[in-house]
Order: sequence, then structure tokens, then C-alpha cells
Amino acid sequence: MDFNPCMKHQLIRKTVQEFAENEIRPRAAEMDKGPGFPEDLMEKMKPLHYFGLQVPGHLGGADLDSTSYAIVVEEISRVSAALGLCITVHNSVGIYPILRFGTREQQQQFVPPMAAGESIGAFCLTEANAGSDAGGVETVARKTDHGFVLNGTKIFVTNGGICGTILVFAVSDTDSARSSVFIVENLTPGFSVGEIEDLCGMRANPVASLFFEDCAIPENHCLGTMGQGLKIGLSALDTGRIGIAAQALGIARAAFDESVSYAKARQQFKQPISRFQTIQNYLADMAVQIDASQLLLYRAAACKDSGRPFSAEAAMAKLHCSTTARMVTNLAVQIHGGYGYSREYDVERYFRDAKVTEIYEGTSEIQRMVIAKDILTRPT
Amino acid sequence: MKILTTVKKVVDVELNIHVENGAIVEKGLQYVINAWDENAVEAAVQLKEAHKAETTLVSLGSGDNTDMIRKCYAMGIDNAIHIDDPALAKADSPTFAKVLQKVYEAGDYDLVIAGKQAQDTDAGQAGIMLGEFLGIPCVSNVIEIKVTDDTHIQVSRLGDAGTEIVDVTLPAVVTVSDSINEPRLPAMRGIMMAKKKKITVMDLAGLGTSFEEIGGTAPASEVVEFMPVQKRKGGQKFEGDPADITARVVQLLVNEAKVL
Repeated sequence: MDFNPCMKHQLIRKTVQEFAENEIRPRAAEMDKGPGFPEDLMEKMKPLHYFGLQVPGHLGGADLDSTSYAIVVEEISRVSAALGLCITVHNSVGIYPILRFGTREQQQQFVPPMAAGESIGAFCLTEANAGSDAGGVETVARKTDHGFVLNGTKIFVTNGGICGTILVFAVSDTDSARSSVFIVENLTPGFSVGEIEDLCGMRANPVASLFFEDCAIPENHCLGTMGQGLKIGLSALDTGRIGIAAQALGIARAAFDESVSYAKARQQFKQPISRFQTIQNYLADMAVQIDASQLLLYRAAACKDSGRPFSAEAAMAKLHCSTTARMVTNLAVQIHGGYGYSREYDVERYFRDAKVTEIYEGTSEIQRMVIAKDILTRPT
Repeated sequence: MKILTTVKKVVDVELNIHVENGAIVEKGLQYVINAWDENAVEAAVQLKEAHKAETTLVSLGSGDNTDMIRKCYAMGIDNAIHIDDPALAKADSPTFAKVLQKVYEAGDYDLVIAGKQAQDTDAGQAGIMLGEFLGIPCVSNVIEIKVTDDTHIQVSRLGDAGTEIVDVTLPAVVTVSDSINEPRLPAMRGIMMAKKKKITVMDLAGLGTSFEEIGGTAPASEVVEFMPVQKRKGGQKFEGDPADITARVVQLLVNEAKVL
């Protein structure tokens, strides 16, 4: 078993680190005052294929393996989790379902502009009465002679304020039990964006409510087959969880790195606080959890690439990485003391950003359900 | 147009380098692509994109340069040759230039682009010597390359008082300044493609020469010893009446430092 990253993964990490440190780092704190990402920064990311990470070459992407994908998201999130969120949601739950379930025509129509970064992806499942219970979707798709007409409201949509290609979960007027997925473009009449949410963290990402009022789309904008929504959603979320795990890991590593530097530099009682056993224990605990997170994440990614089932592995990675992000950022603030509670220090931002990784793309409680189901259905 | 770029792997001089008993301590050293050579690679790739040039990279040394070469592939280089021979571990600039001459003669290149110097030795000799050994024009410290036609380029070279514009007949060697461009970050697709490309690795025998033939056994220069940079002594601080201090400082500059 080789735990050393291969040369390709090292080169990808180094390349993204260089971009993140030089281009994103100087603006990350300003971006946090959000919402929205600087246009010129997004432009610089386009030719580097950050918007088409796992898209095949013939559709304009970089065709990365899942470990490389996780590394890119991790390194961007280490500097700006909100931008990392934009990238991972766009690539995983935005593009992946079209690649996996779309017809060739749908792939050729929607994927190239998304891979080029010209159209940002969003995934609309959550509603006022539908979150962990995906069966509670109330948005309705009414069949017409020309296609479908959508009516409903989606909330907490990541990338909502900048989205161009939107996957919408809706039930049909004749079958309210099973949802289907529809591809909606942002210029479609009847589609509109609500106010940007005022959230605790990830403040650069324009998370918003999206409204569909008599929003008519052609028949060929239905992804997969009618009634396949749950299957598409679960499959998309399995992939998405690798991305969110990577994002959480990036946040944890950022908070850890800041903590180590600060503990060495900060003097109290005429010595660096890193000399105190309590601080050493904190750092050791943080390091162990981060390492364990990394191993779980890269195992899930390798599992996906090998073609094996990876649902439980992705859930374990997401659960552990997000728990680690919350725990490590909390200790990072503690190590920084009063300064850590100030917006002058990046750990305050990491602390706010970390929490939601335990909530979105399946709460930690849902991850445990996925893991337990896998355990209990294994052949004995 | 066929372009040859030369690339050297150097110690990352931004990290602390320790010297013990006249030698550099190998442990803990990290290696990076020489920054000026990265400019040379970028210049070659830009010419490839604008003029459909074919770009070949050559790296010399002993040991594995694969990571550095893969990065250059990811930037857009077409072919790579690595001359890997343990005899080259302590070779001097003329010896390296002779190896480059052999590589050049084995191909059919129109233009050689090299970094103007390497950040480890700062010698700035190999590229210029290559031009001399080949008997072809060489322009150093270049900040712009324009292709005039199939057999001519026009380059700008940075001088103390301004910029020199030089018409050059090909084949030729240019060594480039870091002002020539901003080396690109490899795109993700480039990195994925890079792993599939072949690197031609050969030793001096494979290149059809020997360490003796290229002058390595009787080097023109030899590094005898490395010495650590001396730590600066603390300065002197003067306090009190400005007029008194001025008189004392002048007296010290005249009598002790002897600079006035």
C-alpha cells in the first residue's frame, strides 16, 4: 500500500497552491465581505480548467481523476472555502449529473459552456419543506404539449446569484410521489433569483433562493427519465460529498497551519505558547484528525475511480472531514485567543466557514444513516 | 521552426542552505526548475502557439528530473530529452555546453532558447558558450523574440541605457531574461496530458559521446570549496547630542572604517 502521492497529484497540488496563494489569498478576506467573486479572478480560472475538472476533453474539460479533483478543491478551499464551494458544487452536483444521466445532445448543449466557466452550475433540491427528506419536494413540473412548466421555490441554492445552468428537482402534476430533474437556463422566462442569503459563513458565495413561476422549458430538458429524481440526486450527492469533504479538509488545514505559526510566535509568560503542553495537545489532536480525514477522502476518491461502490466511503469521508473542520477551526480560534475572535485574523473566517460543511450536501446525521445502511446491508 | 530549450534543475535557494566542511549539506534540500529556464520554456511555448514551432526540452544532470520535465510538458513543450549521466554531477559550464552542443547536433534545430543564468550558480555561461561552440549567433539577456521569417528573428535585449533591437540569422542561441514573460501555470488538462508523454532518457554514451570527449575529465574550472555566508556583525548605535554624534561618526568613518 503506497501512501505517497504520485507525481501527477504532487504537480496538481503545487500548481493549484501557487494559483491560490498568488491570486486568491490577497483577496480572500475582502471576498468574505461578499457576496460574489471578482470577475477577473473567475476569468483567470477559466483557462486553467477549474470549471471543467472532470469533464472529458472532447467537451472542453480536464478529465481529472477523482483524487486530482479532490486536491484542487482542497487547495482552493484552503485559501477561500467560499470559492472552493463554488468550484465543487459547479463541478460535482452541477455538471456530473448531466455527464452521468444526460443524453449526448444534452451533454453537447450544456456541458461545454459550463466546463469553460461561461455558465455556472447550481443544484436545486432544497425547499422550505424538503431538505434531508428529499421526498418532500413541492415544486411542480406540469407537462404541456411543448415540454414542461415549472412552478415552485428553491432555497439555500449555492451559486444561486451567479448560476447559468440549473438542475431543478420537481414532482410532476400527475405523480407527486416521485421527483424528476429538469435543466433550466437562467435566461428562461419565469425564472428569477431572490435576495442573497445573509449566512454565517461562505459569505463570498452568492447563496440565494430561486423562483420558478410558469417557467416553460422544452421536453428535452428533462434529465434522465421522468421519476428518476431520487436516483439522480443520490448519485450526484455521492460525488458531491467527495468535493465537500475536500473543501472541509482544506478549511481544517488552513486553520491548522495558522495555529502552528501563531503558537510558535505568540509569547506569553516569556515563552512561545507552543511550549505549553495544552497547546501541544491541541495541535497533536488537530494533526491526527486532519491526517485521518485525508486518508478517508483519498480512499473514497480512489474507490470512485476504480468503479467500485463508493457511497459509504464518500459519506465517511464527508462526515469525518466536516467534523474535523469544525473541531480544528474551533481549536484554532482557542489557540489564537481574543485575536482568533477578530475579523483581523483568518481563523475567524475559517471558524464560520467550517460549520456548514456539517449541514449541506447531506447533514452529518444523514451521512451516518448512509454509513449504517451500508453496514447493515452487507452480506454476512 | 524547431526550438530547443535548455532546462536545469536547481536547489531551491529560497530555503536555507547549510554548508559543512566545504560542502553543501544535501539533506533537506529541495529542487525546483531554474526560474530563468521557466521563462525560456514559456518563450518557446509562445512561439509554438504563434508560429506552430516544434519545441523540445533538454535537461542535463544526474538523477531523476521527471517532475520538472512533466511540468514543462504541462506548460506545452512537445518533446523532452534528459541526459542522465552520473559523470555530470560535478561538471562545469563548458562541459555542460559541450553536452548541449551534442544534443543540438543530433537534432535539426533552428533556435535554442536558454535561461540567461541558473539561480544556483549565477554563472550565466552555458548558453553563450553553446553559441560559441556551435559557431552560430548568440544574443544574451533577451526580453522579446519576434519571428521575422523562416530564417530570421528579431530580438530585444535589455541594456543599461535602453533596449537594443537585434536582427538575428537562424540558427541561433538566445538567453532570456525574466522580463521576457510571466511563465504560465499549467492548466489541469495539460497536467493530465503530461503524464502520457514520453521522456527520452539517455546517458553520454547514448548521445554518442563520452565524459572525456566533452572535456569533463580535464575541466577548465573546478569548484574547490563552498563557504557559508558570513553573518553580519551588529552595527553601532549612537545616542546623545546630534552634533557630538556626527563628529564621532565622521571620526570612526575616517580612522576605523577608512571609507572617508
